[in-house]
Amino acid sequence: MHNVWTLMQREYLERVRSRSFVIFTLLMPAFMAGSVLIPAKLAEMNSGGVRHLVLVVNNPQIATAVMQELGPSKPQASTSPDEEALGPTTYVVQVDTTPTEAERDLLRQQVSDGKITGFLWLTDDALAKHSVTYSTKEAADFGQSVELRNAVRTAITKQHLTAKGMSGPEVESLLTPIDLKTVRIEKGREGASGTAVFVTAIGMVMLLYVVVMIYGVSVMRSVIEEKSTRILEVLLSSVTSKELLAGKILGVGAVGLTQILIWVTCAVLFSVPGLIASKSFLGEVHIPIAGMVAFAIFFLLGYLLYSSMYAAIGSMVTTDQEAQQMQWPAMIPIILAVFMMNPVLQHPNSPLSFWLSMVPFFAPILMLVRVLIEQPPLWQLALCVVIMLGTIYGLLALSSRIYRVGILMYGKRPTLAELRRWLRYAG
Amino acid sequence: MSNAVELRGIRKTYDHFVAVDQLSINIRQGSVYGLLGPNGAGKTSSIRMMIGITMPDAGEVWLFGEKFHRQQLHRVGYLPEERGLYKRMKVIDHLVFLGRLHNLSEHEARERSLVWCERLQLSEWTQKKVEELSKGMQQKIQFIAALLHDPDLIIMDEPFAGLDPANAVMLKDVLIELKKSGKTILFSTHRMDQVERLCDAICLVDHGRAVLEGDLVKIKASYGKNHVQMQYEGDPQLEGCDLVESFNNYGNYVEVRLKPGADAQQLLRLASDRARISRFELVEPSLEEIFIDQVGKNA
Repeated sequence: MHNVWTLMQREYLERVRSRSFVIFTLLMPAFMAGSVLIPAKLAEMNSGGVRHLVLVVNNPQIATAVMQELGPSKPQASTSPDEEALGPTTYVVQVDTTPTEAERDLLRQQVSDGKITGFLWLTDDALAKHSVTYSTKEAADFGQSVELRNAVRTAITKQHLTAKGMSGPEVESLLTPIDLKTVRIEKGREGASGTAVFVTAIGMVMLLYVVVMIYGVSVMRSVIEEKSTRILEVLLSSVTSKELLAGKILGVGAVGLTQILIWVTCAVLFSVPGLIASKSFLGEVHIPIAGMVAFAIFFLLGYLLYSSMYAAIGSMVTTDQEAQQMQWPAMIPIILAVFMMNPVLQHPNSPLSFWLSMVPFFAPILMLVRVLIEQPPLWQLALCVVIMLGTIYGLLALSSRIYRVGILMYGKRPTLAELRRWLRYAG
Repeated sequence: MSNAVELRGIRKTYDHFVAVDQLSINIRQGSVYGLLGPNGAGKTSSIRMMIGITMPDAGEVWLFGEKFHRQQLHRVGYLPEERGLYKRMKVIDHLVFLGRLHNLSEHEARERSLVWCERLQLSEWTQKKVEELSKGMQQKIQFIAALLHDPDLIIMDEPFAGLDPANAVMLKDVLIELKKSGKTILFSTHRMDQVERLCDAICLVDHGRAVLEGDLVKIKASYGKNHVQMQYEGDPQLEGCDLVESFNNYGNYVEVRLKPGADAQQLLRLASDRARISRFELVEPSLEEIFIDQVGKNA
């Protein structure tokens, strides 16, 4: 135990003192925040602004109705707080009542010259077919086409309803959209909103994925470094390979926990109510205490599971390049887990989610998703932890046998048959 | 006096390759022992089993009169052939780390490291990172690391490889002093000339087997003084001479092995007729010659 402690201490102190640890610890939250804030900020910069639109119609009445929907006079109730934060777009609308092919070519030319943003082909013909074309260079702007579609649909509906004899206020109240709010129920009380839970879950799971991978790979690289600097034999004259492996995995794991602790502390400090009182996107990130505990537990379990595989891989190879080629057995399961996140996010308590989250290699990711979205029954959590602990025990037993032989081998990578023999060696 | 190391018929195979076969050696406490042989003879494999890095497939290892157990390792200092240090650690931190693995307290390890660094002229480097040191200096650090816990048995695998002569002498002096204070020293090397003068006893290993084991003085005496070292100018024309069994010619220096019963005086007369002889000495064979002779016999 004394040796494990000494080895772990070295591993921990050397890493925590290193510059790269400080940089990574500082950059990661900045990166996470950036990946949420920057796209939002960019969307805002993009959406606010003036769009020149040409409406091509047979009937000028339609144009007027659509203009009304696009203009500033549209009812505020229809915008959700999110859209409001992004800033409304101002439309400058021209009406064109000559729907000919020649006119169409002319407008196309104007779009490519950048004179107008786009034109809507709203002829009676098109409306009768329920198929309206919007021609623009910014075809990828999904938000814009949704906005235009809503405007056209509402305008047409209003016209029809008015034609059937409804009064203006009646039409307005009929068409006021219904706002659906999702609220998460926690222990019989209403908790955070659905979006918040969702955003938080994805953020935390991706963070878990990143740290498990980074620290798993760290263990591997550290084994390779010890092999290539040839210090192993010096160490082995006073400690056993098991102690060495344990010290390394625990030391690197402790570094990971330290880092997570720093991040959690920062997150708690920054999300003190009042600091983010505004209805900004970041305000939606809601970090539940139970979720953080689960995060720490699943980091530890996932890290132990994957790092023991990475340690074995590191001991089998001599160089970083070889390691790149040998990493797949450890990488594929965790990447698969990330791919399977979606169905679990949507139906956290379905049988599929249950079985997937019981697979030890997927559990760190998928069980964490379940905990964050909808607390699974306690027995399932317990079962999952037991399965993981059992797998970790088995993997460590295997890995330490490979490690014990591998660290003294240089040169050629072992074949599968050789690996089987390594597992059987007496010592 | 009891034995510091006893190997009793140890054997180690890797897949189908027999690295060590039925090796038995006894190393007296307080002696300097040479484990000698060419590359790949099984020296390092034997040492690894001696200190529990690997387990023998058969046979037993005894240290200090007891069957091997890991607590004994705190009495053993090992300088492996494959040696290295963590490149980015500070020298002093590194030494303290290795000392603590040998059960020294942090304070004790630090004190001793500083004393040793002073002695090996490394004092001004203790706060530097390992990667800033020259290879020779790193080797001295490793040497210190093997001695930090004041071991009773010191095992050195190719200790002088890569050292410049000044540093080699410095290390040799330290080792001789340790021997005087009663420590047991085991050298393993394929450079037999380097350790010949240091060893009390030797074991010649080849293909995993002991070819010759025992007191160096006795071994040499058993061969008798049937070797001639000769310094000359000209050409002594030894080819085809019926006094000569074999010879190793360096141009103006030659080592000659005489045929059994041949008279050295006769060779001197013969050679001085043909060349100017500036030195002519009747000697015991060198370890290297004994080794070549033994391996030749077994082949």
